Amino acid sequence: MKRKPNPPRWALHFFKWFCNDHLTEAVLGDMIELYERRAKSMQRWKADVLFVTNVIQFIQPFAIREKTSTSINPFGMYKNYFTITWRTFLKSKGYSFINIVGLAVGLSACLLIGLYVGHEVTYDRFHEKAERIYRVNMELKFGDNHLDLAVANPLFGETAKAEIQEVEQTTRLRWYGSFLVKKGNENIQEDNVAWADSTLFDVFTLPMIFGNPKTALTEPNTIVLTESVARKYFNRTDVVGETLTINNTESRKITGVIKDIPSNSHFRFTSFVPIIERTDALEDTWVSQNWNTYMLLKKGVKVDKVIPLLNTMTDRHLGPQLKAIVGKTLQEFKGEGNYFKVSLTPLADVYLHSNKIGELYGAGSIQNVYIFSAVAFCILIIAIINFMNLTTARSANRAREVGVRKVMGSKKGALVAQFITESILTCGVAMVFAIAITMVVFPFFNELTGKPIDASILLTPRISIGLLLVTLIVGVLSGSYPAFYLSAFQPISVLKGRHRVRGHRSTFRNVLVVFQFAASVLLIAGTLIVFRQLQYIQHKDIGYNREQLLILYNIDKLDQRTEAMKMSLLEVGGVEKATVTGFLPVNYYRSNDSFFTSPAMELKDAISVQKWVVDEDYVETMGMQMLEGRSFSKEIAADTASLILNESAAKFIGRNNVLERRLYGIVDQKTKQRREFRVIGIVKDFNFSTLREPVKPLAFTFGSNDGGMTVRIQGKDIAQVVSDIESKWKSVAPDLPFAYSFMDADFDKLYKGERQSGKLITYFASLSILISCLGLFGLATFMAEQRTKEIGIRKVMGASVTGITALLSNDFLKLVLIAVAIAIPAAWYFTDKWLQDFAYHINVEWWIFAIASIMAIFIALLTVSVQALKAATQNPVDSLRSE
Amino acid sequence: MKGTYLGEFEELVLLSVGILFDDAYGLAIVDELETQTGRNVMISSVHKVLVRLEEKGYLKSRMGGSTTQRGGRDKRLYQLTQSGKKVLAASRELRNSLWKQVPKIVWEGSHS
Repeated sequence: MKRKPNPPRWALHFFKWFCNDHLTEAVLGDMIELYERRAKSMQRWKADVLFVTNVIQFIQPFAIREKTSTSINPFGMYKNYFTITWRTFLKSKGYSFINIVGLAVGLSACLLIGLYVGHEVTYDRFHEKAERIYRVNMELKFGDNHLDLAVANPLFGETAKAEIQEVEQTTRLRWYGSFLVKKGNENIQEDNVAWADSTLFDVFTLPMIFGNPKTALTEPNTIVLTESVARKYFNRTDVVGETLTINNTESRKITGVIKDIPSNSHFRFTSFVPIIERTDALEDTWVSQNWNTYMLLKKGVKVDKVIPLLNTMTDRHLGPQLKAIVGKTLQEFKGEGNYFKVSLTPLADVYLHSNKIGELYGAGSIQNVYIFSAVAFCILIIAIINFMNLTTARSANRAREVGVRKVMGSKKGALVAQFITESILTCGVAMVFAIAITMVVFPFFNELTGKPIDASILLTPRISIGLLLVTLIVGVLSGSYPAFYLSAFQPISVLKGRHRVRGHRSTFRNVLVVFQFAASVLLIAGTLIVFRQLQYIQHKDIGYNREQLLILYNIDKLDQRTEAMKMSLLEVGGVEKATVTGFLPVNYYRSNDSFFTSPAMELKDAISVQKWVVDEDYVETMGMQMLEGRSFSKEIAADTASLILNESAAKFIGRNNVLERRLYGIVDQKTKQRREFRVIGIVKDFNFSTLREPVKPLAFTFGSNDGGMTVRIQGKDIAQVVSDIESKWKSVAPDLPFAYSFMDADFDKLYKGERQSGKLITYFASLSILISCLGLFGLATFMAEQRTKEIGIRKVMGASVTGITALLSNDFLKLVLIAVAIAIPAAWYFTDKWLQDFAYHINVEWWIFAIASIMAIFIALLTVSVQALKAATQNPVDSLRSE
Repeated sequence: MKGTYLGEFEELVLLSVGILFDDAYGLAIVDELETQTGRNVMISSVHKVLVRLEEKGYLKSRMGGSTTQRGGRDKRLYQLTQSGKKVLAASRELRNSLWKQVPKIVWEGSHS
């Protein structure tokens, strides 16, 4: 049988779309009947056309669908949602309080961490050409020595600019250290001074307020200051042309005043002096790397293309010099597995992603950024989980409302909208509180992190919009599960009162509680480990006695009076011993040197060591131990050619009887002139870098270095001794400021970063526990409320208070135990990874996790049992009376 | 008397509904009108009038009588209401009384 012809579908749909419900069915039927009749008597297409004509004829007011009720003003409904939210708030103040406080605290913790991380990751982004600026690195290996340097040779930049067309500009920076600036009759110490090329301002964005950036650093005896330094000495900033007296003797003309360098810059110098004053800045040597060199590439140049060019350039210049010094061609040199490798670090990565030898300022830690981000995320999740748990747990109370709303015709979508609106509102309130909390605690936080971040950036439009978005996201996230859960209630069952919030429905909630506590246990365990490690560092035998050591500064300005000063200070009561040198285990005044074990100075016999110039009192003053041999002596003239090695250096040489061995140092690279040293002693290894690194080879030579003076003092009244030393200082050198620090304080500074992280993590771990407990408290309260009748009956039947408390606590205890089981392996993994960063570290021990677990269980149990006990001690008459 | 005025087409449709009695739906009415008057009747005009008459209360309708024809769709079956019958009767009476008042001479004298 032939299939029945059908009219065009689109016409059908069109008709259905515009025609009102009263007519659609009947008229469509009529038209199809007519169509079928026509289809028999005429051609198909004619019937189609007529059908469409019929449809069109119906486009008349009487047949057209009236606007449906979708245009009902939705604001009325939203107003209702607001009202209901407000009423729910008021009705259960306790829960709402827990919800809002939990979220607010969580959010403010996230805000703080967010700002901190934001500051860390935006280092050096303020330079307009930041994307094109690269720092030159030099990695070299010769013999058993491997050096990864953030510095290059003096002519590297200039040569690159001349020989490689992709390089637009280069500039160099080098630490000057500190100098004294005369203000009136006083000398003020100015730290953070750098040597800089005149091209500094072409490469970096350091806006000059006064002066000409093109010429500011081209002449010797000039200086460029930052605004705040200018203000310090002149109380104004337009000081170009004025003169500063430096170190009592030199005078420098101020040629420029720049804006203060932002705190998120990897160098934070406050004064710049022309690098051309240094003769070694123009020395044609490619084997000595001492200059922090920055390179501005031309627009559109790919860095991968430039690096090989830089390497070929280096090889070309290095080759002949290498030949002259070690007698080998570059080829032979490389053939022995040695190398010189140039690499470039993008400016934005210098702070967080580079920790090489010779970085200008201490490097940041990307690890910390990750750790803190993870902690913030954990806290936020914990807070969101609280919210979800409490809302769903209390759903029984809202079930009737949902039932009634559904009966009255509310659609599921509308209910979801309602609950999400509610949670967004709650989040909004929490966010307002969070911002307030953040503003209040910010000064303390800054003190902790040592970052000068301004909290008021939270109120800038860009961040505000971001926060609004965060509120929405957190609101939707924390509201979505409750919303879908609640809106799925069957009106019939909830109105009959058959609805119970127990049984399988709480599985999801349990999973959330487990997750929450797992995160908390992880944080507690992490905190404990960090603390133990820091303690270990504090108490580790570092090879010298850092207690009661006073470091005096400005020794280099004493000139001829140094020896006299030392003698005078030794007369002060309480001063035991003094040594003059700038080489101390706690500062960055370092010098890398090479010695050779054979007079031929073969590369394979090279040993890269730190060479410290010290006097005869050094070892004794520092409280170091001689393992073999003796310390230097003034009486023995030959000691100027003597060496004391540390254990590591002795081991590096690798043979027994290191004592009395001869080592050879280079005096002049070109003439290959060498100097012979005799090893007279071996000093026990002491830590002179952070405990992240193992002790490196080191050698003492006998000589004078006026970088500082260290005084060992004794006696109880240290303050008195210090003040006596000060008056002595004033009598010998009235023109110089008395500046000092304590060695142990300086040592602690080396671990400032770790201590800060430790403290921060403690605070945030406590917060996470607090928030988790807040949620648990709410949940326990609710559960106890739900089971009021059950508890009443149990009591009537003779259950004891302990029994009921245990009954109520059990459920939660199980969850916390599961959480512990999950958290411990994770904590083990992460803490072990963190500890691997330290060359000297504690072992991850099981009892730390035991303590963390017991703490978590104890706190959870405490929280829950308070509620359980309250429920259990209630008089059953009260709970059973009403029905 | 406003509201009870019946147009010519409306009267025809009402009468057709009466004629078709049990099976008075849109297309049947169109067919009926076309055969009875020989005019070409648009289906939309008929439905339009049906809606108006139902609004005026002269017709009532129900859905029903679906067949395998017309895509299995229900028909809207119309029926005269009391007031529908009344308005038809009134219209007929008015016409009759008018007829009667025309003098016979008008009809007879027509061939003169």
